Amino acid sequence: MDSIKITIDDNELTARKGQTILEIARRNGINIPTLCHDERVKPYGACGICVVEAKGSAKLLRACSTKASDGMVIHTDTDRVKQARKVAMELIMSDHVGDCRGPCTINCPAHTDCQSYVHEIAQGNFQEAVKIIRDRIPLPSCVGRICPHPCEDACRRNLVDEPVSICALKRFASDTDYDSEHSYVPPVAPDTGKKVCVIGAGVSGITVAYFLRQNGHKIDVLDAMPKNGGMFRYGIPNYRLPKDVLEQEINVLRYMGVSFHNNVCVGKDVTLDELRKKYDAVVVAIGAWKDQPLRCKGTDLDGVIGGCEFLEQIGLGKRPEIGKNVAIVGGGNTAMDACRSAVRLGAENVYIIYRRTREEMPAEDDEITEAMEEGVQFKFLYNPVELSGENGKLTTMKVQKMRLGEPDESGRRRPIPLENEYTDIQVDTVIGALGHTLRPEGFEQLEMTDKGTIEAGLHSFRTSLDGVFAVGEATNKGATIAIDAIAQAGQAVDQIDAYLYGGTSFYKEPYYSEKKVSESDLADRPKIPRHPVQKRDRTLAKSDFQEVNYRYTKEDAMAEAKRCLECGCFDYGHCTLIKRANEMPIHPERFAGSQHPSYKEQELVCIERDQGKCILCGLCVRICDEVAKKGILGLVGRGFPTVVKPEFRDPAVIAGCKDCQLCFDACPTGALKLLVPEKEK
Amino acid sequence: MKLVVGEGSCGIAAGAAKVYDALEQAIGEKDIHLGITGCIGMCFLEPIVDVYDDNGELGARLVKVNPAQAGRIVDAVSSGDLSSIQKLMIKDEDKTFLDKQTRIVLRHCGKIDPTSIDDYLDDDGFQALGAVLDHMQPEEVIDEIKTSGLSGRGGAGFPTWFKWNAARHAPGDEKYLICNADEGDPGAFMDRAVLESDPFSLIEGMIIGAYAIGCKDAFVYVRAEYPLAIKRLENALKIAEERNYLGDHILGSDFSCHIHIKAGAGAFVCGEETALIASLEGERGMPRLKPPFPAESGYNGKPSNINNVETFANVAWIIHNGGKEFAKLGTEGSKGTKVFALSGKIRRGGLVEVTMGKTLREVIFDIGGGIRDGKEFKAVQLGGPSGGCIPASRLDTIIDYKALQATGAIMGSGGMVVMDESTCMVNTAKFFLEFTSKESCGKCVPCRLGTKRLLEILTRICAGEGKEGDVELLEELCNAVKDGALCGLGQTAPNPVLTTIHYFRDEYDAHIRDKSCPAKQCADLVTYRIDPEKCTGCTACSLRCPVKAIHGVAKSPFEIEQSLCIKCGSCYNNCHFGAITRE
Repeated sequence: MDSIKITIDDNELTARKGQTILEIARRNGINIPTLCHDERVKPYGACGICVVEAKGSAKLLRACSTKASDGMVIHTDTDRVKQARKVAMELIMSDHVGDCRGPCTINCPAHTDCQSYVHEIAQGNFQEAVKIIRDRIPLPSCVGRICPHPCEDACRRNLVDEPVSICALKRFASDTDYDSEHSYVPPVAPDTGKKVCVIGAGVSGITVAYFLRQNGHKIDVLDAMPKNGGMFRYGIPNYRLPKDVLEQEINVLRYMGVSFHNNVCVGKDVTLDELRKKYDAVVVAIGAWKDQPLRCKGTDLDGVIGGCEFLEQIGLGKRPEIGKNVAIVGGGNTAMDACRSAVRLGAENVYIIYRRTREEMPAEDDEITEAMEEGVQFKFLYNPVELSGENGKLTTMKVQKMRLGEPDESGRRRPIPLENEYTDIQVDTVIGALGHTLRPEGFEQLEMTDKGTIEAGLHSFRTSLDGVFAVGEATNKGATIAIDAIAQAGQAVDQIDAYLYGGTSFYKEPYYSEKKVSESDLADRPKIPRHPVQKRDRTLAKSDFQEVNYRYTKEDAMAEAKRCLECGCFDYGHCTLIKRANEMPIHPERFAGSQHPSYKEQELVCIERDQGKCILCGLCVRICDEVAKKGILGLVGRGFPTVVKPEFRDPAVIAGCKDCQLCFDACPTGALKLLVPEKEK
Repeated sequence: MKLVVGEGSCGIAAGAAKVYDALEQAIGEKDIHLGITGCIGMCFLEPIVDVYDDNGELGARLVKVNPAQAGRIVDAVSSGDLSSIQKLMIKDEDKTFLDKQTRIVLRHCGKIDPTSIDDYLDDDGFQALGAVLDHMQPEEVIDEIKTSGLSGRGGAGFPTWFKWNAARHAPGDEKYLICNADEGDPGAFMDRAVLESDPFSLIEGMIIGAYAIGCKDAFVYVRAEYPLAIKRLENALKIAEERNYLGDHILGSDFSCHIHIKAGAGAFVCGEETALIASLEGERGMPRLKPPFPAESGYNGKPSNINNVETFANVAWIIHNGGKEFAKLGTEGSKGTKVFALSGKIRRGGLVEVTMGKTLREVIFDIGGGIRDGKEFKAVQLGGPSGGCIPASRLDTIIDYKALQATGAIMGSGGMVVMDESTCMVNTAKFFLEFTSKESCGKCVPCRLGTKRLLEILTRICAGEGKEGDVELLEELCNAVKDGALCGLGQTAPNPVLTTIHYFRDEYDAHIRDKSCPAKQCADLVTYRIDPEKCTGCTACSLRCPVKAIHGVAKSPFEIEQSLCIKCGSCYNNCHFGAITRE
């Protein structure tokens, strides 16, 4: 046997004569990515992903097919190699027409696999659905009640009729699972001996604790409040998010072995430095609890209160004295929670004072509608200029009329005051809901942003102190929606985990292939209206803090789930193409241009081909020819429009296709789908 | 006396067959022989009729002959006084077209009757083959070729002896020799001329090659779009076999060889040797990975040698005259001659064979007579879709593999397209990418998608939708395609883009930044207007406008309705008063 010497990436290797560079590299644990290669068939060299650089060779070599020669010096990761692979991948993706994941998943900040859990619900597998949800969301029953559901905004069913009620389905699945005898608790890895302290038992802190605990670390969660849940407990009123539901969800973390320690205030009861010494890592997830003050005169009067503070009081079980006339300043979700809570506390006139119009309101549309239905009076295009009162007690709010000007940097039209147009409103209480930020006390050591939030690496989540990470509303851009906080916290977990083992890592947003779809593409889909969520009687609802929205019935949930158009690719989890694509920093949009028409055809017995997804790697053609020995498939056409089809469309040839599935198994992406014959279903 | 009509495809297209028929009729019973020959090489003067005297010397060359002149010609020739047809004779200045050439490959073209083996034999035909079979060992043949310095004329310029030697020494008894006659470059017709005008020379070269490498079966892979070439080659093969210059025991020797014709279906990529072999085997014409090279594993997995037509057409001359004689011609690195198909905005277009080492300027200006219609030379495109555009500043580049490569272009198979000031270089790059992207076999990503994306970017630049950064994107993509494509088609497809960017970057910038086409060729960037001062209201433009976009009242200035105008330029070309402006 002839043996040769070859150097790959500075490793001196001995190999057999006749072996390819790829074979030698793989045998020695050196990774050379491939896409169109399969050991069962002859090298083909279509994709150009496996190229390597050889010393003395002007051309790049395809590792899959180039036989090594004695003394060869190969480099598999030079800039030139990376560039060639990157452009090849960008070109492939520029003509790969398909959705890796549904728009719901992509638009969800946490990339929750909505399509899959909706599918499981449609099949009646509710616990399976919960497992999928819990892969991303630690508090599914809570989030299923309060999430502003960006998934539904993106839902492609919007192009047909109305979005699938994804959020309510999540609540249904999770609530139903809690009702079951053995509700799902995520498995926890064996103890790693690492200890992490999470400061803050709000959404971010709970998320970090939930995932780090699954990795086997010991987790202590500290919280300054008497109970856990952060804003879920002290910010969102019970009628939207019942506290027993929250408690039930937090109990899951307790089952998993997370320890919670309440009434511990960092800075008072313990210092950050003490925690740093005691734990292998510290995660700051303290949220944003401090109300932004009203920008007008008279805010020191009795009767003026911040939105968060007001809701916190209610969360603590108190019933704040607010009088008959209550005005809430602001247009966000806190304003909505505050005004609807004021209604429930018995106020007769509840006003929303907002300086723009409904169009510009950041609050969820449903929330606005429900507030209006509960009798809240919206005063648009007004801004408070002065609060006045008698004996230190608030009585009057002077507001100025506004008009809308040009859009500002947020894209919303800027309010402009109209001179001499003032109105007085009689008020007993004014609640300022103009946003909130963190209370930095106890964390002064950490570097802060210009906005006064904790500076944390966007992809590393590290703070200025070694071993201290920060996530959630207390960091960077500040207050956000819960699912965003969950997403961030989830992204931070891998980076914290890497730190615990002495490494560094950065979160990378996954690349997905996305397809452009218009209304006309979906014109053939039957219109099925969305199943409405049943609500508590309106009059009853506004009189107390009991939950307003009911859970879907099983029948409604399954029927609603069946409305899903299933946009995402069935092959996502197994797709080599997208795996490779995510290994490189690609920007296929640079080469955006014509694409293969995205039609599906079934010319073989049990194989459906999506011509849009096919990347013409030729594996199906070669497997069918060289391994299955059938030679049914061939390339048709030349140049860009080339497609794979049965050779000459010959019925006799096509009849040769039975059920070997070799082509289906070989396809590196989701271009081929195995159709199970009707009788076998 | 003898009249000979040039009947290559080019001559026939210009009406040579009709001229032949008319001459035949006019001759009637007169004692004038009438014959044909192949391509004389002067496309710009077709149809051509040569008058030979009884000693076989060329007496007169009549050009641009039409059938109506047949009677006059026959009368003059039969009377022996050619003064009455003086006007038909080639002008002295046009004679330089041939006089400045050195013809080895084309040595018989336009001289002999391609259908007659006797004509070929009379002009030293098959003497080389006779000598080889009589007293040369295969190794000696290879040595002679090595001495000559002959390199592959298909474009790559690989030493011919090396390939022959590799095939000869490749293990195995069954070997194949293949002639690549799949001439596909736009504007290239060198091989067609040889096939149509001198098929025996190709056959002789191939048999010598087959003898050298030791093969019994050879193929000519010729594109089906060359029907006349196939017909003449078939005829020549039949005659050669009848006369024992081909087939079993050639000229009584122990050596036997058969040549088969395979007509290709017209895919450009089949000119790539591995794709050609696949096609020859009956597979889809798609390149295969190299190595293994064909000399090791080619047709049916057997050692195979592929050369193109022009390479083979040199072989008999080299054996007959000696490799040393051949090596005297040309430069250090490039020996012998090279045939070019000279076309484009040139005064004298046709087939040109010059010794290596001549400059582009000599070929274009001395032989080709420079640019037509008094316009300025802008660039010359060499090597077809794989080649590049060379600007005026590089006209003194010599015909030499290395020298041409240094310009960014390549020698190529011989296409030489001359462009003048009215040619847009961005549009030229786009033209070639249109070709390569269509002709890409579709197998490898860098070529199938890379050429398509290059074309799309060029298209948007020509349409005035180019963006800042497009040139850099083109360059990046070009380099990736060069680096990543599987075969020569893809690896060289970016050359027209890269060379035009290199030499004519300002034109790209004008399209992208100023939304203007300096050559006024890109329709989307050109506006036609009528100058009311100059317009006489003659209606000529209005009548010829295909979309009726020009309105007005006779004898007063007309106007172009811009929303209807399709920028065809018909008004501009037909205005007698210079009243149409193009901006």
